[in-house]
Formats: sequence, C-alpha cells, structure tokens
Amino acid sequence: MTALALRMPDRRRLMALSIPFAAVIGSMAIGLLLIAISGKSVPDAIEAFLDGAFGTAFAFGASINRAVSLALIGLGFILAARANLTNVGGEGQIAVGGIAATALALWPPIAGLPLGLAVILPLLAGTLAGAVWGGIAGVMKVRFGTNEVISTLLLGFVALLMVYWCVQSTALLRQPQTSSSTLPESLPIPDSTKLPGLTGDPESPLHIGLVLCLLLALATAVVLQRSTFGLRLRAIGLNELAARRAGMPGSLLLVVALGIAGGFGGLTGAIMLQGEQFYLKAGFSSGYGFDGLVVGLLSRGSTLGVLAGALFFGFLRSGGISMEIMAGVPSALTLVIQGLIVIAVAGSVILVEKLEGGAR
Amino acid sequence: MCNLIFGVYAPSAGQMQFAEEAWLPPSPAEALEQGIAMVHQHFSLVPRMTVVENLMLGQARGILNRQAFAARISDIADRFGFVLDPNAVVGELSVGERQRAEIVKCLMRDPQLLVLDEPTAVLPPSEIGALLDICRRVADSGRAVILVTHKLAEIAKVADKVAVLRTGRLVAQADMATADMGQLVQAMVGREVKPLDVALSDSKAGDEQDEGSAEARPGFALVCDGLTVQDRHGATRLDNFTLEVRPGEIVGLAGVEGNGQSELGMVLAGLLAPTEGRYFIGETELTHAGAAAVTAAGGGIVPEDRHAVACVTAMSVAENMYLNKLDRFTRFGLLQRRALNEAAEVQMKEFDVRAAGPDVAFSGLSGGNQQKAVLGRELTLDPLVALVAAQPTRGLDVSAVEAVYRQIRAAARRGVGVLLISSELDELIAVADRIAVLYRGRLVGERPAEMGERGAIGALMSGQLA
Repeated sequence: MTALALRMPDRRRLMALSIPFAAVIGSMAIGLLLIAISGKSVPDAIEAFLDGAFGTAFAFGASINRAVSLALIGLGFILAARANLTNVGGEGQIAVGGIAATALALWPPIAGLPLGLAVILPLLAGTLAGAVWGGIAGVMKVRFGTNEVISTLLLGFVALLMVYWCVQSTALLRQPQTSSSTLPESLPIPDSTKLPGLTGDPESPLHIGLVLCLLLALATAVVLQRSTFGLRLRAIGLNELAARRAGMPGSLLLVVALGIAGGFGGLTGAIMLQGEQFYLKAGFSSGYGFDGLVVGLLSRGSTLGVLAGALFFGFLRSGGISMEIMAGVPSALTLVIQGLIVIAVAGSVILVEKLEGGAR
Repeated sequence: MCNLIFGVYAPSAGQMQFAEEAWLPPSPAEALEQGIAMVHQHFSLVPRMTVVENLMLGQARGILNRQAFAARISDIADRFGFVLDPNAVVGELSVGERQRAEIVKCLMRDPQLLVLDEPTAVLPPSEIGALLDICRRVADSGRAVILVTHKLAEIAKVADKVAVLRTGRLVAQADMATADMGQLVQAMVGREVKPLDVALSDSKAGDEQDEGSAEARPGFALVCDGLTVQDRHGATRLDNFTLEVRPGEIVGLAGVEGNGQSELGMVLAGLLAPTEGRYFIGETELTHAGAAAVTAAGGGIVPEDRHAVACVTAMSVAENMYLNKLDRFTRFGLLQRRALNEAAEVQMKEFDVRAAGPDVAFSGLSGGNQQKAVLGRELTLDPLVALVAAQPTRGLDVSAVEAVYRQIRAAARRGVGVLLISSELDELIAVADRIAVLYRGRLVGERPAEMGERGAIGALMSGQLA
C-alpha cells in the first residue's frame, strides 16, 4: 500500500524492510546491555517487558488501547503534513478533547440518551473541541502568518493548563469537595457514556475505539490517495501559490487541514477518557500527543506506517511501564531505551529513503 | 553536461580532460578545488544576509574579517569592470546584481574555468549586455568560460567558439568567426524553421494571408481601469494602469522588467488585490474576486514565473494540466484518476506536450513542454475570453517558442483577447497587433507593432519620452 512497497524491486524492498527490524533489535540489545550495567537482572527485565506488553489479556488490551491513541494522533499528523503543515499540538488537542468529553458525559441529560448517543455525543464533543483547537492555529497561520509549529505547541500548553484549571475548580469539572482529601479530579463518568468493550471478557480493556481507529485509518488512506481533497492538500503543501492560482481556496484548506488534525487529537482525548480513564485529572494526556507525533513523523505519510508505528510504540510503552514496576528498572533508563529505539528507527527510515532514492 | 564537468554526476561512459589531464571530479567541492567554478541558474545566496556575508559563508575560516573580504570583493568587481556593493543585503538586489555576486563568488577562487548555466535566462534585457561584457573580460584575463544559453544572439556577441547540443548530442561545432548563423539555428531546432526564430521574422503578415485577419471585435475581452498597486513599503509599483483589450486582439505590453509587470500579472491572475482600480474579463468584474473567479470568467493566465505560480512540479503532468479543473474528474469526492489521465493524454497530443506519459512528474519535462502544458490548460478554459501571458517564452528553446506563438495567435483568431507581457521587444513586434509600454508602473505610450516603431518603443521603454 505504501508507495515504497510498490515501486521498489524485490531485493531492495527486502532490504528496506529488514533495516528497521535490525535497527530495533540492535537498539534493544544496547538497552539490555544498559540494564545489565545498571545491575538489574536482564532476564527479569525481559520477562517484565513481555508480560507488560503481551503477557495477559489485560496487558495486551492496554497495549492496543495505547496504540489506538498513538495511531489517531499519527493519522491527524500525516493528514496535515500532506499540506506541509506540522501539527505538534496533539498533546493539547487530546487535553481539550478530554475536557469537552468529560463535560458532556457528566452533564446529566446525556447519560440517559438512547441508541448509543450517550457514548457518541461526548466523542463528537471531544472531536469538535480538538478541531477548534487545531483550527485556531490554522486561522492564526493564514491571518497573521504564525508558524503552526509554534502556535500548535503553545496552544498545547494552554490546553494542558486548562485541564488543571478544570479539575481544580469545583465551578468547573472538579468533583464536589466532601473532605480535605478530595482529589483534584472530575467525577467518574456514568457507565452509559463509557465505550463498549470489544470482547465479552471483562478482564480485557479492549474497547470499540480500536474499530473506530481502523475505520478512520481506512478513511485517511482513501482521502490521501484517492480523493480530490487529498490531492488539493498535496498541491497546497507543495506549492501554495500555484494551488491558489489554480483556484483552490488556499486559506480554507490550511485551516481545515489543521482542524482535522486537531479533530483527531480531540477524538483521541475523548476515547482515552471514555475508554479507559473514566475521569479527568491533571496530566490526563500523559505524553500521547508527543509520542503520536513521533509515530506520524516516522510513518513518512503512509497510513500503514502509522498503524505499524503505533502498535510498536504501544507495546513499547506498556512493556516499559511494566519493566519499571516489576523489574525495578529505573524509569529514566526505560526512557533512554525508548529513545534509543526511536533514534534507530528514525535513522533506518532515512536509510531506507536513501535506498529508495537510489532505486529511481 | 554542466553537472558532469562540475562533478555533480559521473558520466556513464566516456571521459573528460581538463588542463590536459583526465578529469573526473568526485564532487563539486573537488571541482572547485581544481579550478572549476560554476554559476548555477538558481542562485545559492541567503537573501537576508549581505553580499559579503554570503560570500564569506563558503570561504572564510576562523575569525571573520568583513572589511578585508569586502575589499577583495570590490577589487574583483573592479578588475572585471562592474559595480557590486559588498554591504548590500542580497534580498534587496536585482537579479542581475545577485548574479554578479555569484560570479564574484566563483572568481574569488581564481578558477581556470568558469561555467555559466543559462545565466541570461533570468536577466532583464538591460542587464544581459553587461553580463556578456563580464564574460568577455573574464575570458580575456586568461580563463576559459563556458556560456550555456538558448539565445544565439548572445553567443554571436561574445563567444569565440560555439557548440550546439540537442537532446544530449553535440550536433554542431564552429568557430564563431566563420560560423553560419542559419546553420546553427537549424542545428539547434533540428529542422527547418522560418528564418531565425519567429520573434525576429515578421511572420504576422503570412499568418493573416493564410488564415484571415484577426479583426478586433466590438466589446472588450479585458479591461483594466486605473489599476494601482502599492507594496508593503508604500511604494507604487503599478500606477493608474488603464488598458482595454478587444476580442481577437493581441496587445503587447512592453517594458524593461521590474516596471510593474509582475504586479500587473499577479493582479490579473487574481492573486493580488489592487490598492485601487478595477478590472474586468468580459462583463465580469474580478477586482477582488480571486483566482477561481478569474478562471470561471474565462481568464486564462500564463504566469511569468512558471515554477512558482503556474504548476506544482512534484505532481504529475495530468494533475498539472487539470489543476484548475479537478472537479470535473471528481465523483463522490474521489478523483477519477483514469479519466484524468485519459483526458490529459488527449490534451498532451493536442498541445504537443512531450512526456513519457500523463502520470510522470511534471518536473521531468523540459521548460518548453511545461510551458506548452500550462498554455494548454489555460487555453482550454470554457469559456475562454481573455488570455494574459507574461514572458511566455522565457528560457524556451526555439521550437517551443514557435509553438507558444502559434497557440497564442490561434487563440486570438478564435476571438480571445490576448495581453502579452514581455520584455523582448522583437517578440512583441512579431506577435502583437499593438504595443503598450509600461515604465515605472505607468502606461507611457502605445504604438503599432511594426519594425519601424522599434526605436520609438525602445525610447518609451527606457523612459526617455515619459
């Protein structure tokens, strides 16, 4: 499906595929070496990692859920990237999505709605909030020429602080303070607004967000490769002046592109809230926006690349957390290992690009 | 070819000799080291830095000594007989001055061979002479100069020897003193064309006899009414520009570049709102309507900067040929790629766009084929009321130039009003019915397009009668 896979001769293709694998395995080996040096048991660490990533139905489901969040952010990123826009505001878009979804889910009339509306409306609210957040950056770009890297990033910080504000103030979303030990969190959302599970197994946290994510990935692939809208985004991204000359509504397309990217972020926030977390708290978005950005960057604009990268990082994150808790590997070291892997993958992607360039 | 000499590519077969030794530079850096310098068609200067700073980028080591460097620059400029302010900010320089900065950059390394890749394609006519003088002086100082150009007249003016390349083959070679111009032209285009190129021959008369005169019809195809453009700094770039083009008429707009043509082109393309004034295509006012409305009203636009405005070079030929008509190939939001490519194939044939197929990248086409594709796109608007073509033949080879003129004339015969903006007076005289002259953003006069008016128009262009 990727352009890469179609164009290259078989041997090069094999090489192109094997390089990232080799890179991952190599960097993991270095990671294990680091663990050994730090004096922890390597087998314990590996066991903890595997347990945390795939070991139980719960672990597996949690990994997939993480991957869903990362994939959605990554999909939004590559859509905007098609128009040569770099959306680094995923974190903030998750945050506003979470706020909007929480607000709606906790609004009493919503919980009683039939036909799944109790689930759908908060999801839509989150998406809309994220789209507005991304759209603001788009408007700033076309109106004042503000670079979207800066505006989306800074709007992200604003959004994170808004989460604090919402959960600190009882006038907003903080749960009623019954004692001095009441945490600065929202009330849990009603059961009827939670995302339905995918399996009958109550142990598995796997929820319908996965299906949603796969559908959206398909839609993204179609938009990018088959639709006229996708072609217009590409034209705008490659040569804005020529696209405008050809009658395309340049400003509108840019705002819409960032709006869609933001919408994906907002939806991610709503899914994280309604699927797993169930109440809003400070630090709600916990880095998914930035990890999703990395997934988007490494995918080189390919939808399949986003899904693959998201799965990989989803398992990596779950396994890392488990390694930290079970095997006592310091969290800093886990981060170092993850960083190593990111660098290795990014480097191999560049290498593959070079190979591909040579094939032309 | 230039890239081979300069070490960007390695030849697949064959060898080169430089200074009586085999020459196979592994990289441009090595070529520079060995005494070969190249001025590329696209400059590599940082617009926001001064000339000195730009030139120091490549060559200074350690502690920067601006004064000494500036002195060296002025020194070189003096030696080769031109002026270049080392402390000017590059972004504020004219194209010609930037090019001189590039040349100085090359000369600072004291090269044995200076390669200039189509240096005159980007220059206004007023600066071409000066460039050729510089070439001459560099050659007189004992260095070899290779000048790559499409324009034979420049070669005739300055070269000692001439070699003609066509589709990668050396098809002719001669000493300039003994060369036969007619043969060279024939070697360049590969077939018999009318004497020199159409621009220099008055082939209009022939056209009219063959295919009936292009009588101007009543009503207007294009009306500019007091168009005024002020730039960000408040300078007036286009000043109360009023002009009417009738259906079937070709109006030439002459002027040395930088006298408001670019601004006029942007306004008429719907990409720049004029500060004052209005303009119409047919009956439709388009002053603030934007590019899509210009297209819808039947305004075909061939922008002067093809790569920046007319096309998206990384996209396919088909996508570029229908960039403004994608809706026609859209069903349920999806692009009907096969229909698009089929339509493009037909159109490529009609406009003689030569490419391996409709889905190859536009960037792979020669300038001439790119321009034919753009022209085809704009000429197939339905309706087509007016065509604004700005510098439509710049950088094209002779046969492409001829094709462009033929298409423009054919459009006029179909009743399209054409505004042809060009800095090449011979081109305008050959193609247009009447010629208006732009000087410092103002329309300073109008003359019939006849060879006998050359002097008068030239005087207007240089502001002598303004």
